[in-house]
Amino acid sequence: MQATKLRLNLAVYLIFIACILLAPMFLEEFALNRLAKFLVFGMLGVAIALSWGYAGILNLGQGLFFGLGAYMLGMSLKLASPTSMAQGSDTPVPDFMLWNAEPGSKTDLCCINGGSWLWIPFQSHWFGILMGMALPTLVAFGLGTVVFRKRIAGVFVSVITLACVLLVRLLIVDAQPLTNGWNGLTDLGVLTIGETEFDPYSATTYYLVAISLSVTLILGRLLTETRSGMILQAIRDDYNRARYLGFEVSSFQVFFFCASALIAGYAGMLYVIVAEFASPSFMELSFSITMVVWAAVGGRGSLIGACIGALLINVIETSVSETPALVEAWKVIIGLIFVLVVLFMPQGIAGLASSVTDRALERFSGRAARLRQADSQHQPAE
Amino acid sequence: MTVAALTLDGLGVAFAGFKAVDGVSIIIEEGELRVVLGANGAGKTTLMDLISGKTRNTSGRVFLYDTDITHWQEHQIARAGIGRKFQIPSVFRELSVRRNLEVASFETPGVFSNLSLRQTAASKRRVEEALELTGLGPQADRLAGGLSHGQTQWLELGMLITQNPKILLLDEPTAGMTQAETHKTTEILNALRGKHTIIVVEHDMAFVREVARRITVMHLGQVLAEGDIKTIEKDERVKQAYLGSKGIM
Repeated sequence: MQATKLRLNLAVYLIFIACILLAPMFLEEFALNRLAKFLVFGMLGVAIALSWGYAGILNLGQGLFFGLGAYMLGMSLKLASPTSMAQGSDTPVPDFMLWNAEPGSKTDLCCINGGSWLWIPFQSHWFGILMGMALPTLVAFGLGTVVFRKRIAGVFVSVITLACVLLVRLLIVDAQPLTNGWNGLTDLGVLTIGETEFDPYSATTYYLVAISLSVTLILGRLLTETRSGMILQAIRDDYNRARYLGFEVSSFQVFFFCASALIAGYAGMLYVIVAEFASPSFMELSFSITMVVWAAVGGRGSLIGACIGALLINVIETSVSETPALVEAWKVIIGLIFVLVVLFMPQGIAGLASSVTDRALERFSGRAARLRQADSQHQPAE
Repeated sequence: MTVAALTLDGLGVAFAGFKAVDGVSIIIEEGELRVVLGANGAGKTTLMDLISGKTRNTSGRVFLYDTDITHWQEHQIARAGIGRKFQIPSVFRELSVRRNLEVASFETPGVFSNLSLRQTAASKRRVEEALELTGLGPQADRLAGGLSHGQTQWLELGMLITQNPKILLLDEPTAGMTQAETHKTTEILNALRGKHTIIVVEHDMAFVREVARRITVMHLGQVLAEGDIKTIEKDERVKQAYLGSKGIM
C-alpha cells in the first residue's frame, strides 16, 4: 500500500509538470505571462513547505530571500536598460543615481555617489544571477547558524525572521542613492544569455519558469526522500530525541533553511524577469505572510501541495479582482480561508487528498482480499 | 576479569548553589543491569542528564570504558555508545513506526553524509531485529503518534536498540504501564541483559524485583547504599530514607 501511494504521488508530480509544460499551447501572451508569475509564487510555496512542513521552521520572513534574489538580478537588468546607457556616459549608469548624484561627481558607477561602485560587477548578467542565488543562501547560512546553534526553536524563529525581513526592507528603502528607495528598480532591460533573450511575454521565458519549477519540485522531493530528509522530519517532531540518537540537529536545520532560501532567491530572480521590476514591497510583512497562507491552504506537508495552493489562491484572487466589489473584500476572504483551513483542514488540500487516497486504497485492498478469499472457497467445488 | 563500562568519578552539579547531584562515584561493569532507586528529588534523572550530556556537570568526570566523555556534546556521547530513553516517552509522532526505527539506525551524525537515498543492509537488518524484539511488527506502518502508551515506550526502546549502544540509560521505562505491559518490558530487558550494559531508574518495585541484581540507592544527590536486593532491604539508612519500614514490596 505504501508503494502504491508513492506511485500515485509520483503520478501527481508528473501530471502537474506535464500540465505546466503544455500550457503555452493553449494560452496567449498575456495569460502566459500571468501564469509564469503564478508559477514563481508556486515555487515560493515549495520553499515554505520545505522549511515549515518538513523542518518545522515557520519562516515569517521568506520575502527577505525572495527580495534579495530579485534585487541582485534587478541590478543587472537595470544596467542593461537603454536608459542606463543614455545618461551621458560611456558606461551604463542607472537614471536614479543621477538624481541622487553627489555634486560635482563624475557620471560613472565608480564614483557617482557613495557605494555606487558596488554596482560595477553587475554589468555581467552572470554575476547578477550568481549573486541572486549566493546572497540569499549566505544570509540564510549566517542567520540559521546563529539561530539553530543557539537552539532557538518554534515561535522565536518566526519572530526573528520577521524582524530580519523588516530590517532589510528598511535598509533598502533608506539607501535611496543605491537602490532607488521606495520606488525600487523599474524600467529594466531584458535578460540576455548568449544569443537568447528572455522577453517577459515570450514562450522562452515561460519555459524558463516552468522548467525551473519542475526541477525544483523534483529535486526538492528527492531531497526529502534522502536519509537527511527523514532525519529532518524526525527533528521537526522531536529535536531532543533526534539529538540523543546522535544527530547534529543544527546542521540539518541550517542546511534545509539554506535550501529553502536558495529556492526563494531563485524565485525572486525569475519574478524580476517576468514582472520587470524589483521593489521593497517584496519584503513587506504581508507578502511573507501571504506565502505562508498559500502553503497552509495547499498543504505544508507536501511540496506540490503548497505549490498548487499558491497557484489556486492566485487564480482565485485574479478572478475576484475583476469584480470591483470583491477587491476590497479580498483580504477578508483570504483571512477567512486561512482560519477555516487551520481549523478544519490542518494539512491543507494535500492532506485531504492523502487521506481520501488512504481510504480508497484501504477499501480497494479490502475488496481484493475478500475476492481472493471467495476464490479460494470456490475452488474445491469446481 | 570484569571491565568497567561506565565510571562516574565524583560527579556533581550545582544549580545556583543547590547541589542536585553531589560527588557521585559509581562503577558499572560491562553487561551489568543496574537499578538506581531513590525518592523524588534524589537526583536520579539529573544523574542521567549528566551522563548523557543534557546537563553539564560542575565537578567530577565520566568515563565510557577508557574514554573520558566529560563535557562532550549530546550527539557525540550518543555516537560514543550511550543511548538514553526519556521519562516522558519521546518518539517521532508524525512518522511511521518503521520510519522511526530507520531514522534511529542511520549511522552518521551530519547532514551531508546522509544525503543519500540508500540505506545500508546493516541498518535494514537492525530495524527488522528491533521490530521483532519489541513485537511492533504489526504496527510498523502506523504513525507513531497513534500508538498506545506502552507501545510508544517499546518503540523508543527499539530505537535505542537499533543503535546497538554500549550503554542504555532507561528513565522509568515502566512508568504508566499496565501490569501486562510491565511484564513485557521486563521480558525485553531480560533479552537485552548481557548484550548491553543497562542502567534503569525505576520506582516500580515488582519490576525492580524481577530485573535487579545490583541496586544503587540515591538520596539528596548522593549515593546512600549499593548492593544486591537483600543488602538494600536490610540497610537501615535506606529504610529510613526511602522504603519506609515495610521494606521492598
